[in-house]
Amino acid sequence: MKLIDRYVSEVGKRLLALQGREDIEKELRSTLEDMLEERAEKAGKPADEAMEIELLKEYGSPDEVATTYNPHPYLIGPRLFPIFLKILKLVFFGVTIGLTVVMIIQLATQTPLMGSAVTEIVGGWITKIFSTLVAAFGYIVLTFAILERTVPDLGINKEDFEDKWDPASLAKEPHPDAVKRIDLIFEIVFTFIGLAIINGIFNIPIFSDIFRQFVPWINTVFIIEILLDIYLLRKAVWDTITRIVKIVMETGTIVLAVIMLRTPNLLTVPNEVLENIPDTSSIGVEGFLRISNLSVAIVLIFVIVVASVELIKAGIGLIRSYRRK
Amino acid sequence: MANTESLENVVLELRRGVIVLAALSQLSAEQYGYSLLKQLSDQGLEVDQGTLYPLLRRLEGQGLLESVWKLEEARPRRYYIISAEGKKILPKLKKEWADIVSVMKKMLA
Repeated sequence: MKLIDRYVSEVGKRLLALQGREDIEKELRSTLEDMLEERAEKAGKPADEAMEIELLKEYGSPDEVATTYNPHPYLIGPRLFPIFLKILKLVFFGVTIGLTVVMIIQLATQTPLMGSAVTEIVGGWITKIFSTLVAAFGYIVLTFAILERTVPDLGINKEDFEDKWDPASLAKEPHPDAVKRIDLIFEIVFTFIGLAIINGIFNIPIFSDIFRQFVPWINTVFIIEILLDIYLLRKAVWDTITRIVKIVMETGTIVLAVIMLRTPNLLTVPNEVLENIPDTSSIGVEGFLRISNLSVAIVLIFVIVVASVELIKAGIGLIRSYRRK
Repeated sequence: MANTESLENVVLELRRGVIVLAALSQLSAEQYGYSLLKQLSDQGLEVDQGTLYPLLRRLEGQGLLESVWKLEEARPRRYYIISAEGKKILPKLKKEWADIVSVMKKMLA
């Protein structure tokens, strides 16, 4: 029986305590002993090591046996896979857009624009995209692999995350004014995060007093944005009024962003950080301020680009809906 | 070669669904894993141990079976028996099976 004991503990090593390892070991041992006994009876002689070896060989390698007890033979199961894919696509899209915008800004601010600088910026962009996407992929897979094993089945079906699909939707043309729900939800979430950051909830001590003058205006735009998004979520289609509100809001955003872009020193560097910059630092205090101003400019230019795109989309939608009438 | 492999896969898939019904139907009286395996095999349904034992545990996890350890012939054995929930579901599964058989019989005739 020594071999059976060793075999059982080898299988046990490949199981998790969570799965009820001891219980499985006990059951496996009792089964193997039953089988061995039966073989011995058939052979008409007491069980010997050769019989044990034969039995274990037929039963399969410990790896194979342990695998049959594994409820998770996959890293990310079918329950979470659709959400995983959705988030992966979204993050890849976001990363690519973000890094591309940064590259365009780099190209635009590079003076004089020499061939070698262009190659450097574009090359940097490609390597950056590649490394960021690989890292993002790794983190997302890791997160979902953990979720797969820790989140119990809370009755979360993939249907809850996918838009209810109705075959009839293939027959009819998509509504020309239909809103994209998922876009709206993300916009609401990120606007809330933006509101939280700007109003100091996370206590980031980098906003200067000059910046604070803009806060009521930014809050106004953000709150209108959230209200409009919630309204659109319920209504499911764009109409003339919502489009006009959107156009006014995006115009306000652009004006605000342009004014802020022309205002220097929106960010301050906290004193304790300044004190910690060694005098010998090649960047220095001025360098720090330059970097902070530059990053504000990048964010604001990004905001202007996005708002302009949204403005144009709303404008085109408005014109088209009038043409259809 | 590839054909035999895909044939085997299809046969395996076909059997897999049947085993749940077979096991539930035989567990109105309590059985331990190996005795159930032999009982199924005696009636002509050969099931791999690597399939049956994890399946019994899974069915227990789903509340369709109950199990209890008993000491017999100086050997602990885990006995499985159909649960109240399992008893409720079994007639439905049987009906489903009968429907499938009658449909397939007609289709394959």
